[in-house]
Amino acid sequence: MIKTTAWTLVAVALFSSTAMAQQKALTVASWGGSYQAAQSKALFEPAAKNLGIALKQETYGGMSDVRLQVNSGKVTFDIVASGSGSAARAGDEGLLEPLDYSVIDVSHFYPNMTSKYCVGGDVFSNVFAWNTAKYGTNEPRSWADFWDVKTFPGTRAYRGGSVAGALEPALMADGVPPDKVYEVLDSKEGIQRAIDKIRQLKPHIRVFWTSGAQHAQLMKDGEVDMTTGWSGRFDNARADGAKVAYSFNQALLDYDCFAIPKGAPHKAEAMRFLAEISKPEYQDDLPKYITYGPTNKLAYETGVITKEVAAGLPSSPDNAARQLSLSLAWYSKWETYATEKYQEMQTE
Amino acid sequence: MTARQTEALPIRVSHVTKTYGSVHALDDVSLDVVSGEFLTLLGPSGSGKTTLLMVLAGFTRPDRGSLKFGDREVIRTPPHLRDVGMTFQNYALFPHMTVAGNVAYPLRLRNVPKAEITERVERALETVQLGGYGSRRIGQLSGGQRQRVALARSIVFEPRILLMDEPLSALDKKLRDQMQIELRHLHDKLGMTTVYVTHDQREALTMSDRIAVVNHGRIMQLATPRELYDRPANRFVADFIGDSTFLPVRRSGRGVAFGDMALTINGPVPEADNLLLMIRPERVTLVRDGQSVAPESNQFAATVREVVYQGDSYLLQSELVDGTLLTMRGAVRGANLSAMPTIGDRVTLNLAPDDAAVIDGSGC
Amino acid sequence: MAGTAIAELNADGLRRDARIERLKLFGLSSPALLLVLVILVLPVGWLFYLSFVGADGGFSLENYARMIEQKSYERIFTTTFEVSLLTTGLAILIGYPFAYFLSQLPGRLANLFMIAVLLPFWTSLLVRTYAWLVLLQREGLINKSAMAFGLWDEPVRMVHDMTGTLVGMVHIMLPFLILPVYGAMKSIDVDLVKAAANLGASPTRAFWTVFCPLTLPGLFAGALMVFILCLGFFVTPAVLGGGKVIMVSMKIVSNIQLFVNWGAASALGVVLLALTVAILWIASRFLNLTQIAGSGH
Repeated sequence: MIKTTAWTLVAVALFSSTAMAQQKALTVASWGGSYQAAQSKALFEPAAKNLGIALKQETYGGMSDVRLQVNSGKVTFDIVASGSGSAARAGDEGLLEPLDYSVIDVSHFYPNMTSKYCVGGDVFSNVFAWNTAKYGTNEPRSWADFWDVKTFPGTRAYRGGSVAGALEPALMADGVPPDKVYEVLDSKEGIQRAIDKIRQLKPHIRVFWTSGAQHAQLMKDGEVDMTTGWSGRFDNARADGAKVAYSFNQALLDYDCFAIPKGAPHKAEAMRFLAEISKPEYQDDLPKYITYGPTNKLAYETGVITKEVAAGLPSSPDNAARQLSLSLAWYSKWETYATEKYQEMQTE
Repeated sequence: MTARQTEALPIRVSHVTKTYGSVHALDDVSLDVVSGEFLTLLGPSGSGKTTLLMVLAGFTRPDRGSLKFGDREVIRTPPHLRDVGMTFQNYALFPHMTVAGNVAYPLRLRNVPKAEITERVERALETVQLGGYGSRRIGQLSGGQRQRVALARSIVFEPRILLMDEPLSALDKKLRDQMQIELRHLHDKLGMTTVYVTHDQREALTMSDRIAVVNHGRIMQLATPRELYDRPANRFVADFIGDSTFLPVRRSGRGVAFGDMALTINGPVPEADNLLLMIRPERVTLVRDGQSVAPESNQFAATVREVVYQGDSYLLQSELVDGTLLTMRGAVRGANLSAMPTIGDRVTLNLAPDDAAVIDGSGC
Repeated sequence: MAGTAIAELNADGLRRDARIERLKLFGLSSPALLLVLVILVLPVGWLFYLSFVGADGGFSLENYARMIEQKSYERIFTTTFEVSLLTTGLAILIGYPFAYFLSQLPGRLANLFMIAVLLPFWTSLLVRTYAWLVLLQREGLINKSAMAFGLWDEPVRMVHDMTGTLVGMVHIMLPFLILPVYGAMKSIDVDLVKAAANLGASPTRAFWTVFCPLTLPGLFAGALMVFILCLGFFVTPAVLGGGKVIMVSMKIVSNIQLFVNWGAASALGVVLLALTVAILWIASRFLNLTQIAGSGH
């Protein structure tokens, strides 16, 4: 989900470090920036070394690049990093190879962190964040608080355009227990109920944000007092001096994952590589470089991730227990319908 | 329009000065235009004639001076309150209005009732021989027609003063000649005081009651066409109006002499050190062998250097004893071309005393 | 006569020359024609085709039906026209007096101001748009300074809504209005205004009856250009609209980014294109369209 635009410099640095790799090298594409740098140090390079295979890294623009490669029959990527939702759609579109879970061991993964086409690589949370200067000790603790503009007066920002992670909080705010959210949402009426709840908050929603960079900036600038958004972004914003805090309470646990494009040149090696980087001994290194959690629960037990670090990670057992895992099944079934309805509400 | 003569107003320009940086566009100009007069400001480009007209119209603010229309001091009156008609060099017709719209414009500004506007517009158009052209668009008109519309627009509100800035300069020669006569007739009919600017001396001579020759921001001479032509006040005026040959002469007794040849002249000799005899080409005659001439006439011996046939006349350039080339224009009568002298002929040129004008040669 | 024969012989030769000349001319223009075909006709044709391809890959009108069935599309088109009309109107209100001011300045000063007008053309659209965000937001420069000077006590809401969108769009569109209007004003013969004054019109009267009507073709051209450019605008409403000012182009992007639904996006594109062409057609009945591209007269 680190959708930072490709940082050419980093890409060049990464590229040159692997320039010695032969033609037969395994090609891994990710989003570039600090995100790929973290992946490279924690996962890609150690795994390639241990497996004794040549590795070539690239940055790419997302599934549209994969679509282009698959449709033109000239696939060069062996592995791509992706958001879980777009991977699911690309899988449905026939752009990805099904993964072989007899090779990749996901038995200790958090539930819902793997799919037919994509294996989870890191976990992030869709949380509510607030301006600490504005609310002080009067901190919101739930989605109900997020909706409560009397106790927590101020402006809000909310997910715009895409429906991803937008409806679940509305139902929780409306009193639906987290474990019943997808049950209620599994009908047009349920979706309508969630949208109605957001419509209720709409007069206070100043901005419908469309990117992680945007919701981080909104908090940094003090343009809104509360927003939804991705946990890592707020960590970065806080590191930059923004007066922002967020909570994992009732947050939505989502993940980034790795997939193999249809017709990848080194499919078997790619599968082995994915099995390798899914192991806890690699995943436990990731938080050293970026505040995203491992998808493999065992990564918390190797002793590499300290208690202090774990407390800030979305997937640490304590935090994960307070959250709801995003259901890809629901998105497969309802996303198109729900997005149309959601965008319709937005245009009102 | 035709029903009543517009009551004309005299114009009095006193000590008007206008400078642009160090250039005197108008240098202490004073000028009286008589009520109902057709006065032309004549001068080369940059002489200040247009600046003076713009001062009259109110578009140029002079540095000092006074301007009176009748008894009214108008030097500080903005253009739209001066109530003078004006035609522009490029006509300045409003392209987004019809012919009638253009002509009606000043009337609409004056809140004339609609019915009366229609009537007066049509009358004004008839006056300039464009009756029935009201609904035409400006783009559909020829240059001559545009000129007439501009004229109709400038007279329709019956101004008592009409200013015209080189109105005919964009027309071809034939049309220009025709319009000159028409404008003069129109002036005689309407009787408004008219100030006309042109650089075309022939046009000025044709149309004007009086002509003010302007140069370097000053009026060099103000006189009737006849006076200007025959008795120019100085060399500039003589040069600018008509063609002439100038012979340096000196005072000799009561008259003047060219070299050692005493000349007989009838006009006055100016009080000036530097005297010139102005000889108009058409006033010189060729003395044929055996032809008798009046004894008091001035006769110059000359050698023919150039003969140019010009249809209705011929030009003869002959060299006098002192080397001056004297130009003469001779009439071609019948088919008697053989009577024209040829190059190298020795001829005698005759100038009658009435036609010999002595001018101040220093003026410029 | 022999002369006639020669004349006829030459006639054949001359006809041949003319034909060769025409062929050469066609040969010279063929790259341009090819370019038009490749960059204009083919893509638009492809867009048109895609808009009739349904989700199942066969011919379908579902992409158009959706636009009628879903209320949001009607609202999006309404918003698009509302934003475009308001932007055009504001651009006229600000741009026309500015162009007039510019046209009355002496040459060198006018050039200086013209550079100021054109400057936005040379800076990135995105940068300018974000600059407005910095200025207009709740704790932005304007609110902070105004509150520091005591002009108002509470932050005034100026962005992430229609206001912010309009501010940003008017700023970007102004040059497109000012340039043709300025051109029209400069091409007006100053003698026309003098003539009006001479005929008795006060400066105000002369402005409204002569000067202003003569600038109308330029104004109309500029306004039309602004309006049509606005119809397809994306970046500024997306950034300054706070996700609540949703224009057609944004819907097109979301159709492709979120759903990979080329059919729906194409259908929107076709409708927008058709509306634009219709507006141009109606406009062409009131003015000569080449005036928009070319100079005033």
